[in-house]
Amino acid sequence: MTLDAVTDRPTEERSAESPTESGAWQPTPIKRRDLLVLNDVTKRYPNGREALRDVDLVVPEGDFVFLVGPSGAGKSTLMKLIIRDELATSGEVILDGEDLARLPRRKVPHVRRKIGTVFQDFKLLPTKTVRENVAFALEVTGTPRGRIGPAVARALRHVGLTQQAEQFPRQLSGGEQQRTAIARALVHDPRLVIADEPTGNLDPLISWEIIQLLLRINELGVTVLMATHDADVVTALRKRVVALEEGRIIRDELGGGYHRRG
Amino acid sequence: MIGFLAFSVSRAWQGFWRNVAMSLAATATMTLMLLLLAGFFIVQNGLLAGLAFVEQKVEVVADLKASASETDVTALEARITALPEVREVAFVSKDEALRRFREARAAQGEEDLTRYLDANPLHASLEVKLRDPSDFGTVMDTLRADPAVERVKNITDLVNRVITVTDFLRTAGLAILAVIGAIVLFIIINTIRLAVVGRAEEIEVMRLVGASDAFIRWPFVFEGALVGLLGAAITLATIAALADPLGAFMFEFFRVLPIRVGAIARDVSLLVLGAGLGLGVTGAWISVRTYLIR
Repeated sequence: MTLDAVTDRPTEERSAESPTESGAWQPTPIKRRDLLVLNDVTKRYPNGREALRDVDLVVPEGDFVFLVGPSGAGKSTLMKLIIRDELATSGEVILDGEDLARLPRRKVPHVRRKIGTVFQDFKLLPTKTVRENVAFALEVTGTPRGRIGPAVARALRHVGLTQQAEQFPRQLSGGEQQRTAIARALVHDPRLVIADEPTGNLDPLISWEIIQLLLRINELGVTVLMATHDADVVTALRKRVVALEEGRIIRDELGGGYHRRG
Repeated sequence: MIGFLAFSVSRAWQGFWRNVAMSLAATATMTLMLLLLAGFFIVQNGLLAGLAFVEQKVEVVADLKASASETDVTALEARITALPEVREVAFVSKDEALRRFREARAAQGEEDLTRYLDANPLHASLEVKLRDPSDFGTVMDTLRADPAVERVKNITDLVNRVITVTDFLRTAGLAILAVIGAIVLFIIINTIRLAVVGRAEEIEVMRLVGASDAFIRWPFVFEGALVGLLGAAITLATIAALADPLGAFMFEFFRVLPIRVGAIARDVSLLVLGAGLGLGVTGAWISVRTYLIR
């Protein structure tokens, strides 16, 4: 495949099917449009380090994208730009049609509610139970009480943690903790899930469980962007792979492996 | 809005009790700092009362001519009393003046020489107490200009010296109070910042899931208010319990410095409540702000 990924972007994977009744958090109907667009994005930190350079990336709604590359290649910076934790130094980051650089501060939370985030270190609150951790995402965004209970139950059912709802994170295995974090990411009905090394702390078997879960979520129409070091997973799944190195996209191919072929 | 308030208050309450060690540490610091502040405020008030007491001693004394008639003196007295600078005027008759002289001699253990006199040589006088001792000039001039007045005792030097000392003490008291206020401010804000920093994880999760700034900020602000009010309540209870014994002790000890907490109870309560609430809220606001602004 080619380095110039934007022009001949793979399209065959985009599903056009309508959402079904079965989905727990049915996203808005898939319109086959671009959910995330990065246009010539450069990010330079105040200390002068250039974390991203001239990055162009288009992610159509419903895609499953692996983001690979060595540590320090810019994967985390890219994710921070998407959740508008950081602003691009130049270029545009457009999420769901909104230019994040022009977004007023008070609207930032609304954009973040379209995104579910999953991290290597789970980021669960130790003093809250599984149910409370998931409900927390809704409580702090002002969701009416009556809607929280059912939504949390749905999310927990989806990740298979209904039984563990009243346990605290320290009583759970690593995989269960990550599933809790995924439930929390899903409870808002996000359009996009970004996962930053979600399997980094888990053993291979459990990692596969988490990947399977993310694939199921993607099948329901949620776009998934997953940064990973896990070469086996990337190579086995034959999904779209975007490779970063020293802040540049060096490869963007469909069905690619972790390593560059040839 | 009601829902948001209920949410914030209940989250503040939860936050307080789920991190009870940190919350109690913050409350304890708050209490100690408020005690310090209130203590100095009370001492400062005592100092001010003492200074006012000293300043009240300053009076303009005008000796009256022996020839002045009673009507002249009454008219003069009325005129002086009407001056805005004057707090009170007392007439001291010749007999009264003699009696005072004898008392003063006796108090010093001196022999009473007045019995060798065949007539009372002392003047009747007017003793004029001032609202503000620095206003003595006009009062002295008015008295001097009156024909019934023999002479006016010159108190310029005395007054200037008293005013220099009292002004210095007032400024010093205020400066010390300001320094203590600043110390209290920084310590309390830092303590609350520590409590907030201890929950950076929680704030980060809130930001990630798309909580608005208000939803992140207000629970912490209410928690700060809770710490402030609790600290203020404990402080006031402590002061109330100590006020009477301490006041009695101070009175015994200083005699002339009647520090009575009761008289300034309202001011102390307002100060402690205001400082507790204000610092709790400000501390929380500033501490959370660090996490919101990116």
